[in-house]
Amino acid sequence: MNKKTKYGVGVLAAVLLAWAPATSGTAMEGPETVQIDALAQYYDAVTFDHTMHVEAAEDNCAVCHHHTTGTPTDDPNCVRCHNTSQEGDLVACQDCHAKNRFEADYLQQIENNPRLYHRSKVGLKGAYHLRCMGCHQEVGAPTGCEDCHSRNDAGDKLFHAGTYAPAPGSESEGHH
Amino acid sequence: MAKINRRKFLKTTLAGGVAATAVAGKQKNALAGGSFGGYPDSMGVLVDLTRCVGCRTCEAACNKEQGLPAPSRSFDDLSVLDKTRRTTESAYTVVNKYEVSTQDHPLFRKIQCNHCNEPACLTSCFVNAYKKTPEGAVIYDPTVCVGCRTCMVACPFYVPAYSYSSVTNPVVKKCIMCYDTRLKFGRPPACVESCPREVMTFGKRKDLLTIGHDRIRNNPGQYVDHIYGETEVGGTAWLYLSSAPFEEVGFDVALGTQPIINYVKEFLTVVPMVLTIWPALFAGFHLLATKKSKANETASAQDTK
Amino acid sequence: MRSIAANGKMPIATLTKPDGSSTWTVKEKLLLGLTPGEYVAQMVRNPVNWVLAVIFAVGIPVIIGRFAFGLSWVTHSSYDYPWGLFLGWGLFTMVPLSASGFMLGTAVEVFGRHDFKPIERLALLNGLLGYFFAVMFLQVDLGQPWRLIYPMFVSLGPAAVLFLVAWHVATYLSVQVAELVPAFAEWAGMPRLKKFIKSMVVGLTIAGIILSTLHQGALGALFTYAPGKVHPLWYSSSFQWFHFFCSSIFAGLCMLIVVSTLCKNMMTWRCDTNFLNNIDKLTISLARGAWMALVTYLVIKVIGIAHDGDWKYLASGWGQWFMLEMMVGVIAPIFLFTRAIRTNSAKLARFTALLACIGIALNRLNTALITFNWKLYQEIPHWREVMIVVTIYAVYIVTYRFILYRLPILYSWKEEKKA
Repeated sequence: MNKKTKYGVGVLAAVLLAWAPATSGTAMEGPETVQIDALAQYYDAVTFDHTMHVEAAEDNCAVCHHHTTGTPTDDPNCVRCHNTSQEGDLVACQDCHAKNRFEADYLQQIENNPRLYHRSKVGLKGAYHLRCMGCHQEVGAPTGCEDCHSRNDAGDKLFHAGTYAPAPGSESEGHH
Repeated sequence: MAKINRRKFLKTTLAGGVAATAVAGKQKNALAGGSFGGYPDSMGVLVDLTRCVGCRTCEAACNKEQGLPAPSRSFDDLSVLDKTRRTTESAYTVVNKYEVSTQDHPLFRKIQCNHCNEPACLTSCFVNAYKKTPEGAVIYDPTVCVGCRTCMVACPFYVPAYSYSSVTNPVVKKCIMCYDTRLKFGRPPACVESCPREVMTFGKRKDLLTIGHDRIRNNPGQYVDHIYGETEVGGTAWLYLSSAPFEEVGFDVALGTQPIINYVKEFLTVVPMVLTIWPALFAGFHLLATKKSKANETASAQDTK
Repeated sequence: MRSIAANGKMPIATLTKPDGSSTWTVKEKLLLGLTPGEYVAQMVRNPVNWVLAVIFAVGIPVIIGRFAFGLSWVTHSSYDYPWGLFLGWGLFTMVPLSASGFMLGTAVEVFGRHDFKPIERLALLNGLLGYFFAVMFLQVDLGQPWRLIYPMFVSLGPAAVLFLVAWHVATYLSVQVAELVPAFAEWAGMPRLKKFIKSMVVGLTIAGIILSTLHQGALGALFTYAPGKVHPLWYSSSFQWFHFFCSSIFAGLCMLIVVSTLCKNMMTWRCDTNFLNNIDKLTISLARGAWMALVTYLVIKVIGIAHDGDWKYLASGWGQWFMLEMMVGVIAPIFLFTRAIRTNSAKLARFTALLACIGIALNRLNTALITFNWKLYQEIPHWREVMIVVTIYAVYIVTYRFILYRLPILYSWKEEKKA
């Protein structure tokens, strides 16, 4: 091959390589589904349909991921600092939102860092429900607890529901 | 009446006065003019009513953590929200639903002990059963409780319940902020941890006030510009943010900023005054009254001489 | 008993029998010098005892049930209304009505008003029994009555007003028992005991007035723990304790008038001439004292309302109820006592005293139960709660009568002439 052809093939290869992940849909638009099992104690894991939600958000990643995917957010308060944010390494919710938000070590972390800006960042469970349910309420999607994740046996026990439900007519504490 | 000489009289009056002082002089003088703003690092909980959807997970978590009896209705039975409930001997926290004027969907409020900085229950207890811990929780010792139920009268939030159904050991029942099982070890209460929408934020009370005011400031028009519990009855550890006026969500907005003990202080200051002044005052009356009759006695004695 | 006395069987008033043969035995003294048969016969004849029998038949099982099944069986187990009739009547009403003890003790021993001597002991007994049964009511009300001594010996909470009430009531009971020991000592024939107490009587009386001032006021101060819960017309931020203390003064005096009237009319055989001849005059004197306390109370009440700016509440349903209480319990008695004193009418004074006692009961029940939680729903006490209150009050009356029949309260014990 002469020099010109080698150069052309190289460019074509580079472009193809760059494009390949994009066309398969994993880099730009995230995973197809996400298993959310942070609630495993009382609820069955949720198979979150990521692709469907990307469509529902009309490809605007910022609706759920703030600015972390590089898509700019339209919240004027955030834009002040994050206008030029690029796609970050940490995109998944659990990467930033702590599972045990109120345990002493996390609280101590915040306290040790007085210049931390996002001091009252919600935990993972709160992030999911505040983000998801807020939008669901607006668009008329399901908002009941079990609409998204059904309770397991331990959950039924906690709620005294299902097989653990009290017998009907067992009225107590009617005292005011 | 037996003849009484001055020495005997003073002895007995003094003994009576001292006896009265000794038994009732145990009144602790409240800090003059001062008030207690809470321990510096005490924890608190900020409750954001705009986030609550009335799922009652907190009630279920509390029931489990505190080993409370099984409820009469499932915790996922949301029809209980149709009636306004209060805390009971088997429910340390309840969620109520309120229709409000500022929006078309209801607001929900979680009720539990507010863990006041200067609790009325603690103030009123004559066996010192209550304690405000440095961690912020107001806890209760059922082993000394006599069952006088003054704390239930005193609590401006109508929180303490009583296990009337128990024959041998009825005691007061209320939220203790999971002190024994969690707070003591630096862990958040069960309700806070369980809440799916993170309605409750756990942290140091002073930080929560900052967070609360920041939230109001950063979301203009969304919240009523007041944190309920910041100053009410001397300040509480459980603080509330609301998008509707607080009186519409079942809060008592007429409580004022004075801790309940301030209303009692006026009488408590009268106590030492009476204990010290009355003996002298009435001994004086007695001397005046008997002086006249003594004078008559000596006069008549002289007459008969 | 009247007919027995009329038939010549003199009620016991001396240590030795009238014929000088021997001293009365304890059994004879207890049975009033009657044979057991005669004693039971007079009991059965007395219609008051029939009413009491019915009350006890229903009430005693209920009281046993309260302890067997817990408070939930006899009350509505209310969390919003933790205090019911046991405290509302038994403590808050009975304690001011029993203030006669310190009032007359002070009048006689401290102020030297020996003209009150004929009713002094009745006043002391009224006080002692009232407080003793207030404690009985308290024991029925407490969730764990066996822990009554906890605020004294186990875990002390000295900053609480109830701590003061507990200590004072306990101490004051002892003082009142001591003040009545002379009467007991006369009846039991223990002259040295009587002398011992008499040597401390001024000290005891002053201790009594200190304790009474504070605990009568403290019962009012208990409501300062719930400033928003009692209706503003019944609650004064600054004067609550004084309202209760001042009203206890005329409550005690008026109750004494009522009780002495009952004794005069229903136990005439037991009263000696010293009592009967002086009672009308003393009633007027007591009325004078009550009148002064009533006027003071009215003035401070008006000042209290002005101080808190509560005038607007008068124009409401609660306001009308308040005016009724003030009319019946304070204003009408002031006018009626004035007239009674002016015309020297003991009869009118007695009626007025009853009116004032009703007013006191109304005030205390209003503060503790009726206007309490005025912003919430109303609560009617459980019928068993009412039954227990009636029963314990009946026991109080029976005890009162038992002592009055025997001890030298309404009559003077004839001293032994030393040979």
